[in-house]
Amino acid sequence: MQSYWFGDVDDGRCTLFIGDSNAIIDRIRSISVSMDSFIPLEWDQAVLCGACSDRIDYLARLQAVCIADAERSIREQYARKDAELLQMVRTLDEIDTVINLLSERAAEWYLVRHPSFSRKYRRTPAHILVKTMREKSKGALGRVAVEIEQLSETRTFLAKEVSARANSVMPNTSALIGGLVAARLLSHAGGLLLLSRLPSSAIQVLGARTALFSHLKTRSPCPKHGIIFQHRRVHNAPRNIRGKVARVLAGKIAIAARLDYFRGVTATDFLEAAQERIDAVGKRNEP
Amino acid sequence: MIWIGDVLLSQGEGGVYNERMLGGARVWDPHRSKMSALYHVGTGVELKTGMRVLYLGAANGTTVSHVADYVDVVYAVEFAPRPMQDLLEVSRRRRNVIPIMADAARPEQYASMVEAVDLLYQDVAQPEQASIALRNCSFLKTGGFLILMLKTRSVDVRKEPAEVFQDTLDVLLSAGLIVQECVWLAPFHHDHAAIVCMKPDE
Repeated sequence: MQSYWFGDVDDGRCTLFIGDSNAIIDRIRSISVSMDSFIPLEWDQAVLCGACSDRIDYLARLQAVCIADAERSIREQYARKDAELLQMVRTLDEIDTVINLLSERAAEWYLVRHPSFSRKYRRTPAHILVKTMREKSKGALGRVAVEIEQLSETRTFLAKEVSARANSVMPNTSALIGGLVAARLLSHAGGLLLLSRLPSSAIQVLGARTALFSHLKTRSPCPKHGIIFQHRRVHNAPRNIRGKVARVLAGKIAIAARLDYFRGVTATDFLEAAQERIDAVGKRNEP
Repeated sequence: MIWIGDVLLSQGEGGVYNERMLGGARVWDPHRSKMSALYHVGTGVELKTGMRVLYLGAANGTTVSHVADYVDVVYAVEFAPRPMQDLLEVSRRRRNVIPIMADAARPEQYASMVEAVDLLYQDVAQPEQASIALRNCSFLKTGGFLILMLKTRSVDVRKEPAEVFQDTLDVLLSAGLIVQECVWLAPFHHDHAAIVCMKPDE
């Protein structure tokens, strides 16, 4: 017997499937065809079956079912909690880029207006400089400075939201490396399912794509860390053991991501043990 | 197929992706569509009115819409939700595009909806492109054609494109397909090759 979307065909006899569009979608999702003994469907069987009157009718009905099925799949995928987090963290990173670009450009502009001004020997943080520019500049430059400040506020606001969302979507990974870094890993992997499927060696160098591929293609040294460099245990570690810390941390993140995907709740025992193991890397190597 | 000078056209409702129109027909840009590029640099497979096509890796439905202008029906398989949203919009406006949201590597998931087809067209960014094509050959009639758009960089970035190309060709030949044409799609697309095969009689 062969099962098709409109019914079952057995020795030229056809049993029509009766049900509404949702029932048909459930049916096509449940049909699992063995490709070895598979016979492609012939549309005129659907006419014999009474599913449709002619070819135009057949295609119209099939199309309606397929569109409804795809719409449902899309809705299901977007309803997953990580789908929005992905867009949030990407927006955050893009706002950062925009703020940096605009501040640099505005500073160059400001220098032209104030020939005696220089940033050398001053430890002025960027946002203070933007504030000065806003106060001392008239016209468009002042407005640009105002925009930069407003964008920075939005950025801070968004960063808090990302962090909070990451804590609920991926509680274990966030507990291990912080919500922001966890969300960035998620964004690079493309989703929680994809992140949970990655081997820890891939997680370790996630975000170091250029270095990784230049290593694979030429003989340049391989990268020790990607995004996880942003974790203090990695960037505070002495250079000679940084790779080791990154490797252990990546291993624990891989486990945490799987816990997040399959369990979705905090696993306290695991977190304590993992933290201990990560902290131990540095100590073991001290004299 | 419709040519005016060296411009490839298709007859259908325009405005799908702001494509240029020429004499009431839609210009099929070889820089945007690999299938159009194939018709510009090689022979490809002539699209005819009654044809049934299985299209793997339909993406946003840009190329799908042109194929649909020529043939009877296009079964368009796409996995990712984002491009699927665009493909659905194309389907709503074209009676002969059947959108299927599924993984092309798992034909058993959509086998209950697809007929036997005259042309299998594949343009997916996966490492296992040859084996995906072979798995979908069950849908291909004998004497039907396979057009495989090989993205060599998706198979293995470390290997030379020519090497990937040869490996893929070997897989297709050992499966008993008759290779009719192999062309690189330069200058329109880099590191992309088109392989046209025929499924012989048993």
